[in-house]
Amino acid sequence: MKLKKVTSVLLAAAMTASMVLAGCGNSSSGETKKAEDKTEAAKETEAPKADKVETEAAKTQSGDDVESAKKIILFQSKVEIIDQLEELAEAYEDETGVEVEVWGTTGDDYFQQLKTKLANNQGPTVFSLAPGAESVQMTSYLADLSDISFADKIAEGMGNEIDGKLVGIPYTAEGFGLVYNKSLYDPSKVTDTDSLIKYLEEQKAADINGLGLSSESYFLIGHILNTPFALQENPVEFVQKLGAGEVKMADTPEFQEFAKLYAAIRDNCVNPLEQTYDKEIGDFATGKSATIHQGNWAAGMFADYEMDFEMGLAPLPLAGNDKLAVSVPTAWYVNSQATPEEQKAGKEFLEWLYTSETGTDYLMNKFGFIPVVDGMENENMDVLSQDVSKYIADGKTITWPMNEWPAGSVDVYLVPVAQEFFTTDMTPEDFLAKLDEAWAQASK
Amino acid sequence: MKKKKTAGWYALFTLPLIFIFSLVVVIPFLIGIGYSFFSWDGLPLNPKIFVGFENYVNLFSDSRFMTSAGHTVLFTIFAIILINILGLAFALMVTSKLRVKNAARAMLFMPYLIGGLILGYIWKFIFTDAFQAIGEATGLTGIFFNWLLNPRFALVALVIVSTWQMAGYIMIIYITGIMGIPDDVIEAAQVDGAGFWQTLFRIKFPLIMPSFTICLFMTLSNCFKIFDVNLSLTGGGPSNATEMFAMNIYNEIFSLNNFGYGQAKAIVFFLVVAVITMVQVSITKKREVEMQ
Repeated sequence: MKLKKVTSVLLAAAMTASMVLAGCGNSSSGETKKAEDKTEAAKETEAPKADKVETEAAKTQSGDDVESAKKIILFQSKVEIIDQLEELAEAYEDETGVEVEVWGTTGDDYFQQLKTKLANNQGPTVFSLAPGAESVQMTSYLADLSDISFADKIAEGMGNEIDGKLVGIPYTAEGFGLVYNKSLYDPSKVTDTDSLIKYLEEQKAADINGLGLSSESYFLIGHILNTPFALQENPVEFVQKLGAGEVKMADTPEFQEFAKLYAAIRDNCVNPLEQTYDKEIGDFATGKSATIHQGNWAAGMFADYEMDFEMGLAPLPLAGNDKLAVSVPTAWYVNSQATPEEQKAGKEFLEWLYTSETGTDYLMNKFGFIPVVDGMENENMDVLSQDVSKYIADGKTITWPMNEWPAGSVDVYLVPVAQEFFTTDMTPEDFLAKLDEAWAQASK
Repeated sequence: MKKKKTAGWYALFTLPLIFIFSLVVVIPFLIGIGYSFFSWDGLPLNPKIFVGFENYVNLFSDSRFMTSAGHTVLFTIFAIILINILGLAFALMVTSKLRVKNAARAMLFMPYLIGGLILGYIWKFIFTDAFQAIGEATGLTGIFFNWLLNPRFALVALVIVSTWQMAGYIMIIYITGIMGIPDDVIEAAQVDGAGFWQTLFRIKFPLIMPSFTICLFMTLSNCFKIFDVNLSLTGGGPSNATEMFAMNIYNEIFSLNNFGYGQAKAIVFFLVVAVITMVQVSITKKREVEMQ
């Protein structure tokens, strides 16, 4: 009997162990282990070839006469262009004979998938990242692209450089601000925080949602909080100082105005936590919202609606801001851990994409990108993208310091504060204090 | 000779299992313990810095981790009570002389077959859109409002959804226990004049004590480790009010890239779940032996 008891307790313990292990973060360590096994296995299979490889490696170091690989793998985060990208892959194979395999993603967990794949040494040849905190973290996986032929034609500040080396080729420029209904909102009349707040109050009286946000993390707080950061004299330095605790949002005028605006949104507009991206777009397209805080990426969403008004993209007039937040959301990178042959093929692909007729046609017309490399033009841009290029041409842009924020901070630290703000009567002062607190934790 | 033969059989059946178990559980677990002493972001090419027990020390001053522990305990207590009471009630119902008992069994078990993620999204719709619509239509806005925006009600919502999912599964275990009770014992009790409640408490419960052990163990460990429903139903919100243990660890590792620190949390999590379930199993086991 005693023995039975002991065995059953042990059995239970073993079950717990296995379940907990299966359930929680340990699976990732399992994967890493697998990765190590794979690497070792790979080394072993390579071993017999070692003599041959050595001579080839010697060649690689001496010059550029590496043969490029016949197949490259492409993995990128922009889900909107997946179909067109697959067409492009076929066109590339027809023209050059090099096969391009495009891996799909759902978008949300792209960065995690990419990290797992790179850690497993099964990484793609060419992949995309957001320039900034993401690309800095991945620095050791990024190949130097300085020798690419159009390197000096990339618009200023748009190429991703790390330690003076060009590593990322920009996709496009994207801008965000207030997407507005031209019959309900006039950007020339609303020019600062106070007039915007007054506008929101008037719209409430007219039973119209003055400014729409939605519950997704970046649409809720990420993008809109970018503006007070970007209005600082040196945004990147400000992010660092804020992380070090040298400055506080609560003491910075732009942030105080931001909190005031946020409170006005809570008091006068639809609760963003009850909105989704789709609903936000739908409300705007049907005239229920006068403005929404979105960017030119939303243009495709309006294709499903028949709209009886004109829309445009205007700056968020916070603290008198008259500039659009424009930057490069994603850039192409070549995997420095791929074989020299693959890396070469990857660079050739990018070269072709940005210089050949077919490649640029895809970039401009099929992907609908805003040109970021000199000599390219896009005549069939949607209205929002046209506004973005207009602001770029006029030099009226502010940057995206949000790409420098600590990794994961928006989802894990800022969203909960915003959720609390929109579900309680928190004052703007308390809100800033809580944001400061969250920021201090995120920067640890 | 004979002994040798049985040892061979023994090895044939256990060795493959031991091999797989150590490959996918024991070895990764040990490596995981190793990683918990490093500050590392999970990328092999990036530096691993040995920090000793620092990860474990920091953990106790991590107020967010502690709050999520509190939520998990609260959630687990309510969920265990609700799941077991409902599971048992269902089991008693479908083992009685009910006409539709087979159909009822199948329907009650069905929610368990739906994945937690999908369940979460379905209920998310119910708690937000459907509840609001009902509230507006009936005027009972005190009960029917968007539950997922209220910290307390969001936790209740989580309890309801996991109960809905688990109760059918627990019911099956209780059914096997109840079916195992010999008819003559029940008949003898009835002849002696025992009513429904007396039969239930004096005869049935003591005899299905082993089922209690299993069910409590299953619900306890499952509720502590809840992740899928948590992710899809509330995502930890509003303002972290429903962030459970597993989700906190997930965020630490995959969103904040603190692989080593998250690993340390996972180890502590493992110890907590192991200790609590072992205590529970040993307590209920003891009662089993006494009553039989």
